[in-house]
Amino acid sequence: MASAGNKNINAKLVLLGDVGAGKSSLVLRFVKDQFVEFQESTIGAAFFSQTLAVNDATVKFEIWDTAGQERYHSLAPMYYRGSAAAIIVFDVTNQASFERAKKWVQELQAQGNPNMVMALAGNKSDLLDARKVTAEEAETYAQENGLFFMETSAKTAANVKEIFYEIARRLPRVQPTENPSGMVLPDRAMDRAVSSSCCA
Amino acid sequence: MRIAAASSKPPNPLVAFEHKRDSYGFPVRPQHVQRYREYADIYKEEEEERSDRWSNFLEDHAESTESPANGSSDNSHALSGESEVLKEDLHKDKLGSVPDNASEEEGRPDSEKTLHRVQLWTEVRPSLRSIEELMSIRVKKKGDLSKGEQEAPKVKSSPSFDDAKSSKGASENDSEDEFYDVERSDVHDGSSSDGTSVSGIPVAGDATFPMSTCPWKEELEVLIRGGVPMALRGELWQAFVGVRKRRSKDYYQNLLAADSCGNSIDQEDTQHVDDKGSNAEALAAVEKWKGQIEKDLPRTFPGHPALDDDGRNALRRLLTAYARHNPSVGYCQAMNFFAALLLLLMPEENAFWALTGIIDDYFNGYYSEEMIESQVDQLVLEELVRERFPKLVHHLDYLGVQVAWVTGPWFLSIFMNMLPWESVLRVWDVLLFEGNRVMLFRTALALMELYGPALVTTKDAGDAVTLLQSLTGSTFDSSQLVLTACMGYQNVQEIRLQELRSKHRPAVIAALEERSKGLQAFRDSKGLASKLYSFKQDPKSVLVDSGKASLTNGSLSRSESGSSNADEVLVSLTGDGEVDSVQDLQAQVLWLKAEVCKLLEEKRSALLRAEELEIALMEIVKQDNRRQLSAKVEELEQEIAEVQRLLSDKQEQEGAMLQVLMRVEQEQKVTEDARRFAEQDAAAQRYAAQVLQEKYEEAVAALAEMEKRAVMAESMLEATLQYQSGQLKAQPSPRQLNQDSSAKNINDQLPEPPQSRISLLARPFGLGWRDKNKSLTRDLQNTAPEKTVEHVVNEEKPSAEEKETDSEPKDAKLQDTS
Repeated sequence: MASAGNKNINAKLVLLGDVGAGKSSLVLRFVKDQFVEFQESTIGAAFFSQTLAVNDATVKFEIWDTAGQERYHSLAPMYYRGSAAAIIVFDVTNQASFERAKKWVQELQAQGNPNMVMALAGNKSDLLDARKVTAEEAETYAQENGLFFMETSAKTAANVKEIFYEIARRLPRVQPTENPSGMVLPDRAMDRAVSSSCCA
Repeated sequence: MRIAAASSKPPNPLVAFEHKRDSYGFPVRPQHVQRYREYADIYKEEEEERSDRWSNFLEDHAESTESPANGSSDNSHALSGESEVLKEDLHKDKLGSVPDNASEEEGRPDSEKTLHRVQLWTEVRPSLRSIEELMSIRVKKKGDLSKGEQEAPKVKSSPSFDDAKSSKGASENDSEDEFYDVERSDVHDGSSSDGTSVSGIPVAGDATFPMSTCPWKEELEVLIRGGVPMALRGELWQAFVGVRKRRSKDYYQNLLAADSCGNSIDQEDTQHVDDKGSNAEALAAVEKWKGQIEKDLPRTFPGHPALDDDGRNALRRLLTAYARHNPSVGYCQAMNFFAALLLLLMPEENAFWALTGIIDDYFNGYYSEEMIESQVDQLVLEELVRERFPKLVHHLDYLGVQVAWVTGPWFLSIFMNMLPWESVLRVWDVLLFEGNRVMLFRTALALMELYGPALVTTKDAGDAVTLLQSLTGSTFDSSQLVLTACMGYQNVQEIRLQELRSKHRPAVIAALEERSKGLQAFRDSKGLASKLYSFKQDPKSVLVDSGKASLTNGSLSRSESGSSNADEVLVSLTGDGEVDSVQDLQAQVLWLKAEVCKLLEEKRSALLRAEELEIALMEIVKQDNRRQLSAKVEELEQEIAEVQRLLSDKQEQEGAMLQVLMRVEQEQKVTEDARRFAEQDAAAQRYAAQVLQEKYEEAVAALAEMEKRAVMAESMLEATLQYQSGQLKAQPSPRQLNQDSSAKNINDQLPEPPQSRISLLARPFGLGWRDKNKSLTRDLQNTAPEKTVEHVVNEEKPSAEEKETDSEPKDAKLQDTS
């Protein structure tokens, strides 16, 4: 869940999608700004974390990159349960991966956290010639189902940072409830500043 | 072996290569390169020691075990030669038969390729035969259950070159035995109990399991825990898995042949594909796997020098064959890595049978469509971790981290890409030897033991997972890991695991069903599924809804069965319906039990979490005197403010005082000025007074002079008058006298006009003088006139002097005041 300190948000994010849609590549691009042509298959899941500064807060993403094969599906709930955000990735050159993405959306709507921020990523947008899923089709689907859509390319880094930024922007800003002493001290400091300035 | 080889080569070509890949050809993460280099030497030493131990072991036991294992068919004169061959093999491998730089790695697949073509299958070397025989007892049991046909190939006599068997040991090595004594005594309790654990495998549930009675099994176990020499690893693994016993001749080739000619799968239907009806399905399924296998081929150890085109073709064949062999598993990601590793160590068909053994037996139910056993194992592991590391689990609960998030991938990949490769292989050695998944649990627990203390210090879920991942990835001390796992957790045994598995399995199955039902419910919000789903959402109405749900289900199933007969409907209402509903209720009960279990577990974890939170809060409150401090700070600040206020007041007062002082000063100045002016005035007045005094004195002097003169004039006048009166007797008229007297004044130096003037002026005097001095004059009339004048003057002088002495004290007085 997204939990917030003083403008510091920890957000669990899960990547779901078909085999070879580019989930790991997307994360690798986002976290390390790297790309490899042949990314090793993910077994089970892999974890990464990355911090982003959006205009009013810093968001620390705890990213779970899940395995794409359909049977690993049974392990997915462990990772998407309690997630604040999800990126559902499909391969724009592969119609079947888009259908699989739709299934993931359905499952998250049925089983996931209702406040989850969901993004639909049409990956491999650099492969213009091989495109099978149009941006319009995906956009329409995304709008109908309450998620936002972006076409990304882990290879060229197009829209990779953007999609994470957009998620960070959309995360609910939970007002800090815990750790009140953490709030008191800064206020005190300000008081001191004010008082000292008026006394001087 | 690669390590030794690496060290024996000139360093130059290695530096660039080793920078990214370890001695097995697998990539080393940049952050681990340094540590890998440190450990490379240790690995090398271990490897050398290991080779010696194993060759000694094999020498010793070939003798004692050949006869029982292989019966009488052996000629018993060539053991020494055999073991020397082995030693040579070990030596050769160590010293560089296994390539380490790029060019040699390229060369290797070529030899493999020829191997694949010419000989896809090889037997293990004869010296390992006894181990193979020992281990394949496990397979025999399995074979009895499912693959009766395999008896024939298994019984098949050994190849011709296998006759190099002997019962004569070249030399007994007592010192070696002593060397093992320490370790052996350490292991002793564990290994005996392990024997029972191995025999406790359900598929080999036979009580009279010869393996546990084998005299040198303990020693072998110790050796295996110490690691398998690289040169023997491929063959030993085959021996552990029982590849030779599993093998059924031409089976692999036939599976692959189905690729080219579609229906040739019929050929082996007697062996593994259950019935002909499912062939088409199986084929379709295989085609479905094909795409996934194809996708994963380049994603399996990308860039590994041995996995060139030929290597990947072999990998493709292997995975395809397995998918056809066992359609219920088909292809699962992770198998590509296992298959690739096996291909690096053994010929293709051997690798196929090893993979079959691992997936079908060791990991039965793990990689199937539902992956149920994998999930069960995670629950089991979680229970074990909770049992053994309560503090760590409390902390992870507090952070909201599930152990299974991390350990799930560990188990599914059998630690590949999770641990450094040396450690992975060492874990595999033990795991394949033991023939079950106990080593997975022991290794995971050992990792928790090693890294738990560090994990407890983490502050959030992300940090904890990152730390655990990176620590695990740098577990280069493979011996420490394996020994910690095997010694520290030897009481984690298969029997216990089986109990725990059967305890947790229903929950996993129920969760699976619930999930599919939940999904279904979302798709068509009707029928039983939705009821179940909704009552899952609303637990309060469980009782009512479950009744309804079972009824609904009953009717649904009846209508599905398509019974149109009214009697049947009636019957089904009474009989079938009951059966249905009973079944359904049983399912419900099962499901509810699972649900209750889950809820209880959730409750327990929630309670634990609450406790943890409370403790944490208490500690925070205890440690956190920030509030007190801030209160103090507040007080102090107030004091400061007051002091500052006082200060400012004082400053104001000071200012006022200063102003006052300034004013006073000004006034002082003014008064000073005034005083100065006054002094000046005084001086001026004094001066004026002096001047006046002087004037007065002058005036007095002048007066005295004038008086003198007046006296003189009077006396002259008197004298004149006397002269006149003397003349008057001669002269009748005074007038004449006057005229005469004026004439006479030339002698007196008194001219006539002043005489007249004085007389005029001094008339009052003159009269006074005359009256006053009448008597004098009468006295002096007798004396000479000049004498009387002198006399008068003498009389007059003292009076003037008297006046002067009077005025002098006055001057002194005035001077004093100034």
